[in-house]
Amino acid sequence: MGESPGGLGKSGLTNPVSTSPKNKNEGRGGRNPASSLFVRYPRLGDTAGKILFAVPVAFMCLFFALPLALTYVWSFFERTMFWMKPGFTLFSYHNFFTSARLENFLASMGHSSISVIVAFIFGFPIAVFIRRRIPQVAQHRVILLFILPFAVSEIIRIFALRPFLQRNGLVNNILLELGVISEPITAILYTPMGVIIGEVLSFLPFIVFAGFLAMEAVPKYVFEICEDLGASQYRVFVDVILPLAAPGIFAGSVFIFVNGLGVALLPNILGGPGAVNAGLIATQAITALDFPLAMAVNAIMMTTLLGLLYIGHKLFDLTKILSPMS
Amino acid sequence: MPEKNDIAVEVKGLSKNYGDVRALKSIDLQIGAGEYFVLLGPSGGGKTTLLRLIGGFIRPTAGEIFLHSAEVSHLPPNGRPTSMVFQSFALFPHMNVQTNVGYGLRLRNMPKVEIRERVDAMLEMVGLTGYGERMPHELSGGQQQRVQLARSLVLEVKILLLDEPLAALDAKLRKEMCIELKRIQEKVGITFIHVTHNQEEAMTVADDLAIISGGKLLERGKARDLYENPIHRFTAEFIGENNVFDGHVTAVDGEGHVMVDLGYTNLTVHGRDQMPGVGDKVSISVRSELVQLVDGNAMAAQGQEILSGTHRETVYLGLTTSELVRLPNGQELLVRQLSDGSGGNGIKVDEAVQISWRTVDGRLHVS
Amino acid sequence: MQDDYSSLWGYRLKWLYTLLVVFTLMAPVFYVMYISFNENGFGARDYVFTLDWYVVIFSDLLLLESFLNTLVLATITVVVVVPMGLVAAKHYKITRYPLAVVSLMLSPLFVPADILGSALLVFFKNLNKTFTLLGESFSVNWFDNWFDLGYFSAIVGLIIYTLPYVFVVILITMARYKDQQTEAARSCGATAWQAFWHVEFPQIRAGIFSACSFTIILTFNEYTRTSLLKGGYDTFTSVLVSQMLNEGMSEQSYAMSAMVSYIAIAIIGSIILLTLVRSERLEQVARAKADPMGAT
Repeated sequence: MGESPGGLGKSGLTNPVSTSPKNKNEGRGGRNPASSLFVRYPRLGDTAGKILFAVPVAFMCLFFALPLALTYVWSFFERTMFWMKPGFTLFSYHNFFTSARLENFLASMGHSSISVIVAFIFGFPIAVFIRRRIPQVAQHRVILLFILPFAVSEIIRIFALRPFLQRNGLVNNILLELGVISEPITAILYTPMGVIIGEVLSFLPFIVFAGFLAMEAVPKYVFEICEDLGASQYRVFVDVILPLAAPGIFAGSVFIFVNGLGVALLPNILGGPGAVNAGLIATQAITALDFPLAMAVNAIMMTTLLGLLYIGHKLFDLTKILSPMS
Repeated sequence: MPEKNDIAVEVKGLSKNYGDVRALKSIDLQIGAGEYFVLLGPSGGGKTTLLRLIGGFIRPTAGEIFLHSAEVSHLPPNGRPTSMVFQSFALFPHMNVQTNVGYGLRLRNMPKVEIRERVDAMLEMVGLTGYGERMPHELSGGQQQRVQLARSLVLEVKILLLDEPLAALDAKLRKEMCIELKRIQEKVGITFIHVTHNQEEAMTVADDLAIISGGKLLERGKARDLYENPIHRFTAEFIGENNVFDGHVTAVDGEGHVMVDLGYTNLTVHGRDQMPGVGDKVSISVRSELVQLVDGNAMAAQGQEILSGTHRETVYLGLTTSELVRLPNGQELLVRQLSDGSGGNGIKVDEAVQISWRTVDGRLHVS
Repeated sequence: MQDDYSSLWGYRLKWLYTLLVVFTLMAPVFYVMYISFNENGFGARDYVFTLDWYVVIFSDLLLLESFLNTLVLATITVVVVVPMGLVAAKHYKITRYPLAVVSLMLSPLFVPADILGSALLVFFKNLNKTFTLLGESFSVNWFDNWFDLGYFSAIVGLIIYTLPYVFVVILITMARYKDQQTEAARSCGATAWQAFWHVEFPQIRAGIFSACSFTIILTFNEYTRTSLLKGGYDTFTSVLVSQMLNEGMSEQSYAMSAMVSYIAIAIIGSIILLTLVRSERLEQVARAKADPMGAT
């Protein structure tokens, strides 16, 4: 095995007398010219790494953070026939706050809140169950079951509720046949109730995911200790599970709330005439080419969102959600 | 100290800070080529940090690292003449033993036949002939460590780093592996740098030891020297089972004897070339096997130190029996001796006892 | 299954509830599938099984073209977003500002589709105008229409939508990976790339594969952002929605929806089966060895 100078880079190593390789990289052929480049100049590898790491961050800043920040700016612009022109006016905000849109917006916030609570009641116990009673290896697979509805496009799921909940839809037919009711229920579609049902069904999997991730913060031995101490199921839930899983639950709830407000299709398809949420208001504004108004609605939405996240962080320290991932 | 061109590792003024935390505070150290060198110290004391700095896994905050006279602190691990054996989980789980061991050689584009030869030879050296096709999860802890060893040694590096390699093994296996490691090092002849917090392990394998604590290199020497003549109080507390007494100097005589006031009594000890001044805070340590229980009424003879206390407990440990004695200031003193055949010495709890040792057996520590 | 003293019937009941919830979530979709086979469509008295509606949609050129468009979008998105998510995940593990990085990566989850879509729409239109103006001041028209709504804008929107999911999936997979492996590989002489490719990648391959499948599914299902940003052409979802909004739920809509659902379910189903087969053996052996008390 001869000696070859490659590998130690610019250290200026003096040659001790030996026949074994100076370092591990002796004799490295050109299998991959790029990697031998990085061996020769280790610093180059470092810099390349740094540039690479910056790419996702730069992308997100440029195409996500920046446009959203600019939304605030654009909301103050003046409206023109097909577009808008730079300026500063509160017209759009005024427009929004003094019209029926505001009432609808607040109403939709109420509906979203109800959805969150309902989803939590139905979905969180499942997360607890999976985490506690299912063996570790199988847990992720059961979670995958909940990705199943998610795998079907949400628009299909929302549209599919029409034949399901309609006057002459499946649910009513079954209930009529079973004799539970004598007349079809009309209150479950084209009403706020319909929107709530749609939201819950669309976003329930998220509460399960969020709850599951949040539960990873609760170590299994805690449950064993509680059983040992003789705590009732209720106490275990309230005193142990809720506080430890709170950050995750909160994050999941915010997610559902915000999407409930923002997904225009929900009230559009399920809400009946005149039903809107913030997302629909914004989309309608765009269709009407009133861009500043759309931006204003967006800005209000985002401020609400940021406010919620801030409150949540103060209350729960949301960074704890990240522990299962590190 | 090793000669200039026989130095495998030299570290000058090496420091590492993590934010405000100073993990290593300006270490200077030389390790001779072909030595089995051990970095011994408590957890969090900096020994692993030092090892990883030498290996290239961390960048130093300040200082220089020379490996066989070449400055390497700007080089990553694959640019240095070192290889590391980790505590656990370091075998590649998707490759079998043979592929694991041959990985480094594959990276060098060595011909397959030659790789095979070298891998087989190395497996034989670590006692795992025939295990080539096994997967890591089919191996026991001890076997996994041997594979790691083989993987590093086959690269024919000059310096092998071992980061608490035996910590995940049970006590019996650890003893066997210690001797294995020593044997292999002697056979291969390269420098081994081994980090551990286990003093028995350290003393079994080491040619030379360094005590690292609080980010500093405290003391360095052969196992025997550190055991029989520790310089620092910390070393005395860390190695062996010593009794340590704190006090201050009351007098120093012409022959190097130092009188120390413990608060409840006085002791004398040889200064061993250290010359503390009157009033200095010092410590005295004495090995617990050199301390004896004596007759309660005996007077201090010439060349003997005596302390009074109450007997607390006798602990039978098989080879040795320990007596715990409580001293007037609340400190517990340990007396160790080889177990004799008798059923005990019949001393009752709380009985007043006296213990003594030869004055020359005491060691003075000024720091 | 029973290693402790908790009630067996409680366990079964809870399992039943879970399955019931999953079924309820899927029920509307199953119903749609059911209707799609009915010759007489929705609400008709008699149910006549037929595959006719599927034949109709497969011969609908507009539909097929839009499907192709979506396929192109999906492919490009996957190719861009999965490596990006991988880089972001690695960065997150090393960076000194993990909180900032993860907030940035995960925030799209909290921004509803309409908001993101409309903001990007305005952003691109403004960029377009700015660049065109810039070009005019130099009297060139190189810069014109760089940021027209089209493939580029749609893909940007899709990347932003899917990146958080990819990021999370890859991070969770990487959490199982021990960094000592990379260090050991470097210690054997590997460069950072070689250590990643030879040692880390084989161990996180499953997660990357999941991330890819996930992204494809998400892209196909996505409506709002794509419709706002796509410009002139049609995507699968946009065709579907415009049909449904304009003509109501026609028989073709049922068949289309059902078709898309079959594919999506097939993909997820196969992932579930795959993980079932692969991890069953390996994990049980490994865990038994590593942790005989089953404390985790």
